[in-house]
Amino acid sequence: MSNESRILLVDDEPDIALAFKIGLEDNGFNVDAFDNPSKALSNFKAGLYDLLLLDIKMPKMNGIEVYQQMKEIDKKVKVCFITASEMHYYEEIRKEIFPILGVKRLIRKPIRIDDLVKDLRDELQ
Amino acid sequence: MDTAPNSRITERTEVLSGQEYVMNTIIQFLSKAEKIDSCGDYNASSLIFGVEEYKKLLSDIKAKGIKLRYITDITKDNIHYCKELLKFAKEIRHLGGIKTNFSVSETEYIASASIQQQKENQQQQQQEQPIPQVIYSNAKDLVEQQKYVFESFWSKALPSDQRFREIEEGLEAEVFEVLTNSEKLSQVLLDLARSAEKEVLIHLPNDRSMMRLERLGVIDDIIETSKKDAVVKILCPLSKENLHVVKKISDNAPTIEILNGNNSPYGMYIVDGERFLRAELKEPKAENFSEAIGRAVYSNSKRSAESFKSIFELLWNERTLNEELKRADKMQKEFINVASHELRTPTQAILSYSELLQKHPERKEEMIQALSRNAGRLQRLTDDILDVTRIESETLMLKIEPLDIGGLISNIIEDYRNQIEKNNDNVKLYYYHEPKTNDSKIIVEADRARLIQVISNLLDNAIKFTKNQDNSGGSIYVTAEKKTTENGNKRQEVILSIKDTGKGIDSEIMPRLFTKFATKSGTGTGLGLFICKSIIEVHGGKIWAENNADSNGATFTFSLPISQQQEQERLSSSKLTSEKRGM
Repeated sequence: MSNESRILLVDDEPDIALAFKIGLEDNGFNVDAFDNPSKALSNFKAGLYDLLLLDIKMPKMNGIEVYQQMKEIDKKVKVCFITASEMHYYEEIRKEIFPILGVKRLIRKPIRIDDLVKDLRDELQ
Repeated sequence: MDTAPNSRITERTEVLSGQEYVMNTIIQFLSKAEKIDSCGDYNASSLIFGVEEYKKLLSDIKAKGIKLRYITDITKDNIHYCKELLKFAKEIRHLGGIKTNFSVSETEYIASASIQQQKENQQQQQQEQPIPQVIYSNAKDLVEQQKYVFESFWSKALPSDQRFREIEEGLEAEVFEVLTNSEKLSQVLLDLARSAEKEVLIHLPNDRSMMRLERLGVIDDIIETSKKDAVVKILCPLSKENLHVVKKISDNAPTIEILNGNNSPYGMYIVDGERFLRAELKEPKAENFSEAIGRAVYSNSKRSAESFKSIFELLWNERTLNEELKRADKMQKEFINVASHELRTPTQAILSYSELLQKHPERKEEMIQALSRNAGRLQRLTDDILDVTRIESETLMLKIEPLDIGGLISNIIEDYRNQIEKNNDNVKLYYYHEPKTNDSKIIVEADRARLIQVISNLLDNAIKFTKNQDNSGGSIYVTAEKKTTENGNKRQEVILSIKDTGKGIDSEIMPRLFTKFATKSGTGTGLGLFICKSIIEVHGGKIWAENNADSNGATFTFSLPISQQQEQERLSSSKLTSEKRGM
């Protein structure tokens, strides 16, 4: 089931976007990766992906804005956020904005591929 | 019925005109009196000494031993008349602004009927004229009333010697006025605001107070005052509601300092350290000043104004410290967040690629490059953080040696050109070196590695913001030239500038460009320029930046002193040449 899940990955760091793409594909996911949020958004269509994996801190457009716009297009798409920032930095967002947007999971970098895969599978269930 | 003519006095009250009648009435009045209580405006004393007949009357008063009590407005213009008058009167007191002219004895009342006219005549003719008209009365009730009026004035008036001292020592009469009439209060505040010349300190009780002052017109007065180079400080609770007033003030009078204060039940307005108004806030939500304010005290007492000023300064300093602590705390948190993000990002890449490398031997080369790139990034960040720590603890060690900065730049430029070509970046790098002759090196005493660090940092930034700017690509111009500065003793320096055609410096970041954590690019720690500035400054140089006049890109410039030794060698060799020529 989850082994055929389709994932859209957006991270402004090209090295990380590529590493995650390879790592997740090794684990049977179908992954499209972008290091430019606007490009990811213009390629996005309803029903194309099961799950979004979005970095939060990106120049020009942050991950939360990306998700809000994608959710307008695809109401059913699931999401996991990932960040290298301090968790307390997003404390308010986690407490106040995530529940409104229906976001449950914020993953912390650095993370090993196996742990990331586990988190994503949990989210997809 | 036969009655003795004086046993029953007919009561009469009349107005008498003409100098002769007036004079006779006054003489009659004096002849019957043993005690006279008299009030006169600030002109009266000069009038008495200005008219010969009146002066004579004074001598009569003294000769007859009439006890004269006199109230007048003693000013620095009439002080000498008042002192003269003291020789004839039993006691004189001062009542500021008194406008009435009357005298009352045991049984009679006499008053000047026309003080206004008298004043005008006096101004026109520059000569004292006798009173043209008086009111006379011996009506018992009227006399009693006037005695009462006099006593009320007398009790409020200031003894003359005290007033003389005030004037002679240049002291203003101290006023403490309790104000309850809200209209009058508004006027007092407006007058106070308009009178300010050197300093205005305002402590407002709540956010709406600022809006009320704006409605009253006081904010406009403050703005005007600040344009006269006056110090203006406002301590006021700040909120969304009064933001527009704060903005108006900072737009029109940027020198006015405004700090966010706590709510308080009182407001203070202190002007020039000499006058103040302290008012109680009765209706915190009221629209207008007059509705909001309760009881207030106005005073021009310097000592009290000073003590209120010191209370204000205490509050002000406490708030300043508080703001600084908050800012430092925010900076600290910001740094931890930026630093952790920047440390974890390459760490994530290194962790992932080292895992993937085992499973994907076919992508070995690509992954090793990524590993190396991210390890380098981690190293640079570590160095930056350590540099900042060294700079702040003043333990930055320099390995100073004489070096040719022209040659150093040439080498760096060469490296960067190769790098640009390798990365296929759409940017061209030019270098101009003045003077052009090869043998004239520009020698500076500097730490080679640190100078490379600064120049590389500036070039990295220039490339980052210039490459791929648009399809035509961008350019970076590096120039190095010698200059002599003329401040005090002549000093030779080298000026190095790096001009790019990139997107320029964000106006928001410009004022804190060289401070820590200044970053707008979304990536980076914002430590680079802070480190550059510190390195250049420990070398005795300066660094600055500006957006280009043609609104295309930015220029970063730094100066470094040229080695004295090289200068001396250059000078002596040129001397040698000229001596040879002279031979």
